[in-house]
Amino acid sequence: MPVAEPARACAVRATALRKAFPSKGGRVEALRGVDLSIAAGQIYGFLGPNGAGKTTTLRILTTLLAADSGEAFVAGVDVRRHPGEVRRRIGYVGQLGGADLEATGRENLVLQGRLYGMGAAETGRRAGELIELLDLGGFSHRIARSYSGGQRRRLEVALGIMHRPAVLFLDEPTLGLDPQNRAHLWEQLRGLRDAGTSILLTTHYLDEADQLSDRLAIIDHGRVVAEGTPRELKQRYPAEVTITPKPGAAELDSLASSLQGDPLMGAVRIDAGAIRARVPDPTAGLAAVFDRLRAGGVGVLRVSLQEPSLDDVFLHETGRSLRDAGDPIVEEAEAAS
Amino acid sequence: MTFLLQTALLSRRRLLETLRQPVWVFMGLSVPLLYLALFAPLLTSLAGGPGFPAGGVLDVFVPGILALMAFGAGMGAGWIVISELDTGVIERLRVTPASRLALVLGTVVRDVVTFAVPAVMVVVVALPFGFHPRWGGVALLVPLMALLTAACSAGSAALGITLQQIGSLAAVVTGLQLPLTLLSGVLLPLSLGPGWLQGLGHANPMYYAVEAARQLAAGTLGTGTVALGFGVTAAAALLAVWWATRCYRRAMA
Repeated sequence: MPVAEPARACAVRATALRKAFPSKGGRVEALRGVDLSIAAGQIYGFLGPNGAGKTTTLRILTTLLAADSGEAFVAGVDVRRHPGEVRRRIGYVGQLGGADLEATGRENLVLQGRLYGMGAAETGRRAGELIELLDLGGFSHRIARSYSGGQRRRLEVALGIMHRPAVLFLDEPTLGLDPQNRAHLWEQLRGLRDAGTSILLTTHYLDEADQLSDRLAIIDHGRVVAEGTPRELKQRYPAEVTITPKPGAAELDSLASSLQGDPLMGAVRIDAGAIRARVPDPTAGLAAVFDRLRAGGVGVLRVSLQEPSLDDVFLHETGRSLRDAGDPIVEEAEAAS
Repeated sequence: MTFLLQTALLSRRRLLETLRQPVWVFMGLSVPLLYLALFAPLLTSLAGGPGFPAGGVLDVFVPGILALMAFGAGMGAGWIVISELDTGVIERLRVTPASRLALVLGTVVRDVVTFAVPAVMVVVVALPFGFHPRWGGVALLVPLMALLTAACSAGSAALGITLQQIGSLAAVVTGLQLPLTLLSGVLLPLSLGPGWLQGLGHANPMYYAVEAARQLAAGTLGTGTVALGFGVTAAAALLAVWWATRCYRRAMA
């Protein structure tokens, strides 16, 4: 009986995944029914605050953890019934990294290749290839304990793709990296995607989810609350006009309340000395703002129009900002598992 | 075949790691040598007394020291496991298709080697001090102690994965160390003690290994004590390896 189901176009398909962890105050539900359908060949992001269930989902998909209920297929293989077959098809770069610090970079790569059943000659060739691809050449002969954060992360990504997996999972891959190393890693992940690898990553960085992911799922309290391309998700919500007055200009309140009465405006608020107004139709909305400014005579320093951000999407779906969210209890239970 | 290759690869990785930290090799050797140099001389006046053959205190003492070395070489495994949980190495290895048993045996093989090499050196060093081993017995004694190392190594690794904290592991291992070693008679044979002490010793798996080791050093091979020593120690090793493998497998088959 073939292990993989024929629908190969799916990197991941999961239905109704649930997982609870024991905790001090009883059981904590980390996943409350996660459904996913992720097409192959793209970078797919899981965005959510700490404790939302991103890591738990990833650990179930990578065979590290068994779901309480629900089913999941990775690269077409049932995770519960054939974990060994799933392991052959996936690469995994955990949050903790996982490089063997007492071995050199090359030794790490060679052992990894051999454990996946690659022959000695092939392993040597592939290690050389990855040392070049991920720019490890200057230090691959030194033990990994001596590496900088960026060097170590690159080695760990190399370990994850040593055996050319169909699906690569990364848990918070840029956590703790400086901006330069981060940009570098993004480039390398895009390159891998272009070469045909499906990539799934978790992040709690808005810009990473926005710029790196082809599609993404926003996860909160163990559920997928929104799913789509970053552009689709953002287009569901109105853009925002910010009116910054000149220093000393008064009458912000009356301008705000007159905007509030305009049917072309969405929510209007005053924030940090500037007026922020949602404009569902930016063309008509901006024209209306300028009409009122001309009539009202408030001295204006700047008027700008912002695209909605993924934080706006998160705010709309969950009622709070991603920056303030986070569930320390689930996080703790997750960490102990 | 794959399993053997994986075990060999993982053992090699471990041995390289040990060779790169020669301070541990040195430490492992210094303890038994200090016992020989600073404790064994106290025993010479006991020669010919109860429990000690005339002129052969080391024949009783060296097997006990070897058991102590086996215990020490194996019990370190848990510390390494915990540091590898913290750096994500274990998680990474668990996502590879490598056999879970091979993941356990990689460490066990290394610990057996780091026991056996200094053990042979201690036997050689003890010769001029008055150790008179029967070589046939020693040829069985070292494998018996290697089994004890394997049991301690796998047991310590399983404890490490289960407890996850260095502090808890240290508390459990040091809590076990004295009762296990004292109640096996590593320093002086339990036969010197009162009946209740010997009775307690019989509840300690390590006791049987040490008793068998003393008979083997004296060249008595075919006795029930020797057979029982091998039987109990092999059973302990199998049980510990099974437990550790189960810990590695825990999340999913």
